[in-house]
Amino acid sequence: MSSYIISVTAADRVGIVYSVTGALLDQGGNVLELSQTVMRGYFTIILEADFPTPRSPQQLAEAIQERGKRFDLKVLVTEVKNGRDEPLVVGGERFILTVLGDDSPGIVHNIAGSLAAHGVNIVDLHARVDGDRFALVMEALIPHDLTPAAIRSELERYGKAHKLEAFVQHESIFAATTEPSPVRLGSALRSQGESLASH
Amino acid sequence: MHRTEDVLATLSMIRQHKLDVRTVTMGIDLAPCASPDITVLCDRIRDRLIHYAGRLAAVCREVESRYGIPIVNRRIAVSPIGRIAAGQKAEGLLAVARTLDAVAAEVEVDLVGGFTALVQKGWSDSDRRLIASLPEVLSTTSRVCSSVNVGTTAAGINMDAIAALGHVLKDTAERTRDHDGFGCAKLVIFANAPNDNPFMAGAFHGSGETDCVINIGVSGPGVVKAAVEDLVAHSATKPTLGDIAEEIKSTAFRVTRVGELIGREVAARLGVAFGIVDLSLAPTPQVGDSVGEILQAMGVARLGGPGSTAALALLNDAVKKGGSFASSSVGGLSGAFVAVSEDQALARAVEAGDLTLAKLEAMTAVCSVGLDMIAVPGDTDAETLSALIADEVAIGVINHKTTAVRVIPVPGKAAGERAVFGGLFGEMNILAIHAAGGSTEFVRHGGRIPAPLSSLRN
Repeated sequence: MSSYIISVTAADRVGIVYSVTGALLDQGGNVLELSQTVMRGYFTIILEADFPTPRSPQQLAEAIQERGKRFDLKVLVTEVKNGRDEPLVVGGERFILTVLGDDSPGIVHNIAGSLAAHGVNIVDLHARVDGDRFALVMEALIPHDLTPAAIRSELERYGKAHKLEAFVQHESIFAATTEPSPVRLGSALRSQGESLASH
Repeated sequence: MHRTEDVLATLSMIRQHKLDVRTVTMGIDLAPCASPDITVLCDRIRDRLIHYAGRLAAVCREVESRYGIPIVNRRIAVSPIGRIAAGQKAEGLLAVARTLDAVAAEVEVDLVGGFTALVQKGWSDSDRRLIASLPEVLSTTSRVCSSVNVGTTAAGINMDAIAALGHVLKDTAERTRDHDGFGCAKLVIFANAPNDNPFMAGAFHGSGETDCVINIGVSGPGVVKAAVEDLVAHSATKPTLGDIAEEIKSTAFRVTRVGELIGREVAARLGVAFGIVDLSLAPTPQVGDSVGEILQAMGVARLGGPGSTAALALLNDAVKKGGSFASSSVGGLSGAFVAVSEDQALARAVEAGDLTLAKLEAMTAVCSVGLDMIAVPGDTDAETLSALIADEVAIGVINHKTTAVRVIPVPGKAAGERAVFGGLFGEMNILAIHAAGGSTEFVRHGGRIPAPLSSLRN
């Protein structure tokens, strides 16, 4: 099996997903994972597809563009080496980082830089500006050897200088308050808890 | 990915509307400590408290940091000392109280509850001695809290104990005259006391509980008030009271879930059992953290006026419904506290003359706990205080619910003057007691008011 990561961008119209997946089906492909969103009128999709035999990335991109000609699709195809690339980032516990306040250029860049310097991996991020108010919510993996307090104070320091409030909170808080499923503790604690002897 | 709106809604509950975990209370069974030798008893109590609670403060700080949710109070509730120290004389009971006080300070908890007697049906010599020791204990220790359960629906009401407690309140108030009788704020007199209540001053570790347990008291009047205000301000059409109840219910769900998460994590880190989440809305003197303000947000502009009881009933029921769906481990008192001096809106209503003792008593029929943090004139006689207690206990006993009294006769001050307790205990104008002094003979009959009939409950 040969695997490819494919991303497609275009002005949003009805039928783009139908067109892209149709092109992949024509080529004998099977979609393994797909994520799609629309931002301010622009459609974007990223997906992973498997093919029984190797394909040229350029050929795949052209097939998708041809099938979706009326949408003027921008397509990028990347072959996944050895089936799936080994993750190059360390794991960690999932926290929600929220930044709110006045908008100014470079907020996302600077915060991402801070996090990268500490080895914090951003796994999901949504930011938007309404008027002059900036809001950023991200899910990030904080390495086990780093305390959330360290990241919190780093972001707070940055926030103070830029009229922003920054919060770092464990994902379980948000899961507990928004999902009706049973309350779950953090993964690190689950493994720690098992080894605790009761009194 | 969590929806941005959900994240921001939860964040706003925590950062702007004062959602916190009000209390993490570790319940500890002291039964294995019993000994006729007072030195041995106190040593065992000390060892056992440190064994279980030695890491409580540190773990609470870890969990606070992990979740970014404040844990406002850390407390310990122990088995009723009336049983553990049975047979001890007055000096022995005082030694136990001082041991509890000292260990509480050592393990960094702010209060320790359980200097308690359960005398609903009758009282032993040990219980009498414990109740007699309360003025000394409450006036000479800073962290020890006490409760006495004087009635249950099954047993009736112990009027002898209630008569004695009137004198205890007078004596305790006098000994803490410099602080407006504050010693009485550390004594709760209960009907149908729950075994697993994490809120002081009435917390104790009841029978039927395990060796050590973590109980959680969540609060969040500010969160509920914000939700109601938001609904009223932004609904396209005027929301009905049913809509308001729904809003409170879903808010209570979120508040309860936070409590359960924190409680389970604290318990897991300590390697002890998780007990219950108590859903009570407990006010603080801060503006915006008030049960009274929730009623005002519903449209009851003058607290104590007609409609106040119905609004409180709606609030209480909606909180219980939301919490019950959120957790299978709900217990304690689970209702709205109308702790007057601790609640700015209620204290202001007293000052304005809108909220009277009679109306407060009526409101306690539909909420937790009862007549709570209420200052009365210092010259109120003991029998009148006992009669006040008896009325409130009767409401609980007849209606199969917990009620309680935490009333403070303020020495040297009269109705309308200011009583100041400070900190979380707040301040209020002293309430007049209507027809005080008229129930002396009733109280002096003593004995037991029989348990009520359980059928024919109209």
